[in-house]
Amino acid sequence: MEPSCTFVRSNPIVQIQIQNLSKTYPNGVKALDHVSLTIPGGMYGLLGPNGAGKSTLMRTLATLQEADSGSAVFGDLDVLRQKEEVRRRLGYLPQDFGVYPNLNTQEFLEYLAAVKGLDATAARRRIDQLLNLVNLADVRSRPLGGFSGGMKQRVGIAQALLNDPQLLIVDEPTAGLDPEERVRFRNLLSELSGERIVILSTHIVSDVEATATDIALISNGALVAHAAPEDLLRRVEGRVWEWVVPSADLNAVKQCYRISNTARRSDGVHVRVLTEEPPAGALPVAPTLEDAYLDSLSIYRAGAIA
Amino acid sequence: MKRGRVLWHLVKADFLGRVRRTSFLVTLAFAVFLGYQTFAGHVVLRLDDYRGVYNSAWVGALMGVVTSSFLTLVGFYIVKGSILRDETTRVGQILAATPMSKSFYTLAKFLGNFAALAAMVLVMAVAALCMQMFRAEDRTLHLGALLSPLLLYALPAMAFVAALAVLFETLPVLRGGVGNVAWFFLWTALLVAGVGPAASRNGSLTRADYFHDFSGLPTMVVQMRTALLKVDPGFQDSISLSIGGKPPQHRFVWTGIRWDSVQVAARLTWVAYAIAAALLASLFFHRFDPARERFTQKQQEAPDRPAVQELAAARELVRSDPWAGRLTPLPPASVKNRFFSVVIAELRLMLQGHRWWWYAVAGGLIVACAAAPLPASSGGIILAAWIWPMLIWSQMGSREARYATGSLIFSAPHALQRQLPAVWVAGVLVTMAAGSGLAIRLLIARDLHGFAGFLVAACFIPSLALALGVWSGSSKSFEALYTVWWYTGAAHHIPGLDFTGTFAASSRPGLYLLLTAALLAACWMRRRTQLAYA
Repeated sequence: MEPSCTFVRSNPIVQIQIQNLSKTYPNGVKALDHVSLTIPGGMYGLLGPNGAGKSTLMRTLATLQEADSGSAVFGDLDVLRQKEEVRRRLGYLPQDFGVYPNLNTQEFLEYLAAVKGLDATAARRRIDQLLNLVNLADVRSRPLGGFSGGMKQRVGIAQALLNDPQLLIVDEPTAGLDPEERVRFRNLLSELSGERIVILSTHIVSDVEATATDIALISNGALVAHAAPEDLLRRVEGRVWEWVVPSADLNAVKQCYRISNTARRSDGVHVRVLTEEPPAGALPVAPTLEDAYLDSLSIYRAGAIA
Repeated sequence: MKRGRVLWHLVKADFLGRVRRTSFLVTLAFAVFLGYQTFAGHVVLRLDDYRGVYNSAWVGALMGVVTSSFLTLVGFYIVKGSILRDETTRVGQILAATPMSKSFYTLAKFLGNFAALAAMVLVMAVAALCMQMFRAEDRTLHLGALLSPLLLYALPAMAFVAALAVLFETLPVLRGGVGNVAWFFLWTALLVAGVGPAASRNGSLTRADYFHDFSGLPTMVVQMRTALLKVDPGFQDSISLSIGGKPPQHRFVWTGIRWDSVQVAARLTWVAYAIAAALLASLFFHRFDPARERFTQKQQEAPDRPAVQELAAARELVRSDPWAGRLTPLPPASVKNRFFSVVIAELRLMLQGHRWWWYAVAGGLIVACAAAPLPASSGGIILAAWIWPMLIWSQMGSREARYATGSLIFSAPHALQRQLPAVWVAGVLVTMAAGSGLAIRLLIARDLHGFAGFLVAACFIPSLALALGVWSGSSKSFEALYTVWWYTGAAHHIPGLDFTGTFAASSRPGLYLLLTAALLAACWMRRRTQLAYA
């Protein structure tokens, strides 16, 4: 009996509850500092600067790393203890992963399908679909050793979807992708999030702003903010201004204001600033998620220093 | 001046990078172990039933020759891999973009290797000093006599090894496992080439012989022999450098090597050979050009699709429909705990990528084992059949680390209970298949003891490979250890060391069954930790 295209998933989308998760590395770096989060179904963006602790959180949720304390529950499964059960439902695309260069795409996916326990017939059908999905069907017989970074990344997402996971964790997936591939990748993840939890970790705001239903900001291992993108935007509404300054004044402006962006044009430098009191001649502009991100981070850092 | 500074910083960075790794501590620990074994009298330089009194001259000579004879073998395996490391860390890409010449780079790598090996020589020098002081047979310290063998025998030999490691890494055929096996036989040949002339001319050496002497042992022994003949004219010319065995009963006083210009020139020639080898390596060095690195041939064989065309296709896809296909949800029944499919997948992975002639030789050895008389088959041909798949075994357990696929595989369900045993079973199947010719002969001859030995060996070899692979994360440790074990233990049918188990006189299946169990337990423990099991 062929499975029909109208197959309805029997398991409802569950959520992940993280409570006081902490991890300190032997060198003293505090990668996670009492992080508490609720990750609902759909696309969830984990945003933060490099070294913020995103990958540690991702690896812990992917059952590849122990936490020092705290808990993480996926549906009714304890992620830190019921690892095998979680792995059955997990698709994971690590930030940095390798492939076997002598195998082609088809062979590599067949190998991983076997390791994940898929039966051969189902695996073949699934691999066909996935290769079409990630646009690698034409190169399925090409050895992976000759693949570009973007093509390798697409192999990575295909392997993560092999077992039709309820939880898909993708760590910095757009690194090394060209703009077209990046757009395509975002669309793909957005589509996939309709029927599972997709956790996307990135330091690139545009990766999550159009697709994530919820965003967590992490810095220095601590949770800085956790909200829907609209809520984050509301926090900076009326505080983003743009005005034109001569190039020579740019350094002086940098000393006085929190700048979120600059662009050189024929009439001078267009400066975008985050401030309560606008400079003379500045015009209010609609905030972007990047403004909200920078604002939250600088408030957090100012608080941490104080 | 500027070039000297660049070279200094290249060597310094390379050396610091090494000494801050745990593997360097293991390296030094090995030197300390060997130094201690010599100190404790377990390594003996014996002339008939004589050894020298432990004065500066004898202790220095002993440590020097132990270093140039034994540490050179291990030292090569320890330092080989520095270019590969630059490749995998991508530091090589940065270096390749600088004005640095290829010869400069290979020279720097040679000096980096040499610095690491020189640290081992330093440990041996400290051990020599301790040995003379604590054994207290003659505490009069003659620094020249104590250190000159280490400086003039050990260091030039180490320099040559350091340069050969760079040369091997730049030659496509020798940079991998084949090179690791080849080094063992080259090392043996280097030692034999030095000792041979001294043995054939009844202890006298010609001027040319000094230049062929890699370890310094023959040069040194000729002078010791002269001293001993004065004490015991009946000396029978029985000379050995061995680990273990009964200590010699008699002692004689030897005052040290009398260096002359020919001997010093001969030792410095090995340094010149080393520099020449390092420069030769620059001719083959790929300068981290991806097109000349590993997958050139495969890329050429693959159907070519221009990047522009690929980009255009991607753009079209984004414009038309970002969703190229739909995924059918996977019925839950398709995910099962199928151990045998993982075994087949691992077996395919192991056997992938070999050329037709590899299979032809493996097939030929199976047929030869089956067709030859049983003693020839179990005592000789099986050795060839069980060295041939070595590069398959050496990937076991280390493949995930080498290709950085660990996070993909370890996040799959039952990686410990399913994938790890599947790798082992696949390895056992490969070993049994490689030796199947002999298995048939043993069964026909109803030699059940021999067949039991065969089965144990077929389990032991992949267990050793898997354990070393899982623990070291590299194929090198198995390639080095197995080659030495295979040659010294199995090929010479030494009881207790012959793991093949099919040669009645040296077979010890019970011992190897226990070893297999211990190795499998070690694999399990290590992989359990890798999978973050508390």
